[in-house]
Amino acid sequence: MSTTPLTRSAPTAFGSARLLAGVTHGTRADLSTHRRLHGPQRHRTLEELAADAARVQLLGRGGAAFPVATKLAAVPPGRRTQVVVNGSESEPASRKDRTLMTLTPHLVLDGALAVARALRTSHVTIAVHDQAAASSLHAALQERALAEPSPELVRVERRPARFVAGEIRAVLRGLDGGPAVPPSRRTLPSEAGLHGAPTFASNVETFAQIALLVSLGPAEYAAVGSPEEPGTTLLTLLGDTRAQGVVEVPTDLPLDALVPGTSGPVLLGGYHGRWVEDVVGLSVTRPALRAGGLALNAGVVARLPREACALAEVTAVTRWLAAQSAGQCGPCLFGTAALARDVDDLLHGRTAPEVDARLAGLVRRGACAHPDGTVAFVTSALDVLTDELATHRRHGTCGRPYAGVLPLGERSVR
Amino acid sequence: MRIEVDWTRCDGHGLCGLLLPENLANDTDGFPVVRDPEVAPGNVHHARRAVSACPALALRLSRP
Ligand code: SF4
Ligand code: SF4
Repeated sequence: MSTTPLTRSAPTAFGSARLLAGVTHGTRADLSTHRRLHGPQRHRTLEELAADAARVQLLGRGGAAFPVATKLAAVPPGRRTQVVVNGSESEPASRKDRTLMTLTPHLVLDGALAVARALRTSHVTIAVHDQAAASSLHAALQERALAEPSPELVRVERRPARFVAGEIRAVLRGLDGGPAVPPSRRTLPSEAGLHGAPTFASNVETFAQIALLVSLGPAEYAAVGSPEEPGTTLLTLLGDTRAQGVVEVPTDLPLDALVPGTSGPVLLGGYHGRWVEDVVGLSVTRPALRAGGLALNAGVVARLPREACALAEVTAVTRWLAAQSAGQCGPCLFGTAALARDVDDLLHGRTAPEVDARLAGLVRRGACAHPDGTVAFVTSALDVLTDELATHRRHGTCGRPYAGVLPLGERSVR
Repeated sequence: MRIEVDWTRCDGHGLCGLLLPENLANDTDGFPVVRDPEVAPGNVHHARRAVSACPALALRLSRP
């Protein structure tokens, strides 16, 4: 398996580097560097941790932006309880989680161990696809085994790269030896997750944020960012943006500081996200974006350069999304494939009279969020790209090349 | 009662829309379209019949 690296460049921090403290030059923080930057591993009781997470309104940093305090309160503590760090980062445009695991693995581990200790369990599993991230975590565990042994048992498990395989319920199913596809039943990981045990599962950045919260305390943690969602967040920027790749920004940063000017359309929230014409008046705060019908999801923000064919980018991603359908649910399997053909017709200046019906036929008709996320991506693209669509309709092309700004990762192999 | 489709099981046999037209229709591929998940009390027996007739065991009737 190989991944196509976007840029191997170092991550950037706008304002204070917190998660990325000491690693913005692209060098990995080993255990002693990490301890110098963040202090010793600290622990909180479950009640304290949940109270602190509630105070800073910490939200999960994967897709769903679920409140961490609520999730902590929902998981019964005890020796069977499982902690799962979802590092599959199965969206090819997103690099933030692998950047954290690769450059600052001890911050992720501090967070995972703090949650495990609070839940009075020793079972921690980190699901990861990326080879460099897995190696860095293994090395970090070896450093700790010598310098600061802890009772927790941390397993690093390699997972497949397919988009839908990164959905937490698919990850848990795969870790249990089943197929890495979402289960049909709407099971709650907090009740019956890994090995059927109560499970606290969240994405990599969430655990790194928990580590920061524990080491800084809620007051200092909340000293930056917006009052609705204090602190910083990680984004992956693509295309015509202020910086490229992974950035850490305070949550009150206006988005047009990151995607200035008015070149091409902007994609917010990655391949299950939405296209917008511009980002004036928006900030990176998840609750504020949600109120406007938008989502940051895993934090991918892309702006297409003017000289790229936007419709070609949309077509390529739609085709990729169709290929990512786990093929379990008929409407998703057939619907996303037909949708990809429709979008391809529009790209080539043909009509696609059924496209609206096709989109409607995908809404809430699958076992996971993939059909609905695909609908959000395509619907918003067709809304925003009216001029481009008209040009393609008239001339069969806009004359601009397909630039491949939005990466498609490895071909899906099932 | 609510009628739910297990999308991972449904094979698109297209039966259910005929048996429970108040709540379900079938699209051109035969897959159900849930018009309204809430089954009216007077229709529960129709819903039960649709559930037991589904060859893929893909329909579920559950309490809200
Ligand atoms: S909705 Fe699509 S991606 Fe999700 S489980 Fe069903 S077939 Fe797979
Ligand atoms: S009868 Fe069952 S298998 Fe057939 S379309 Fe309805 S739910 Fe699907």
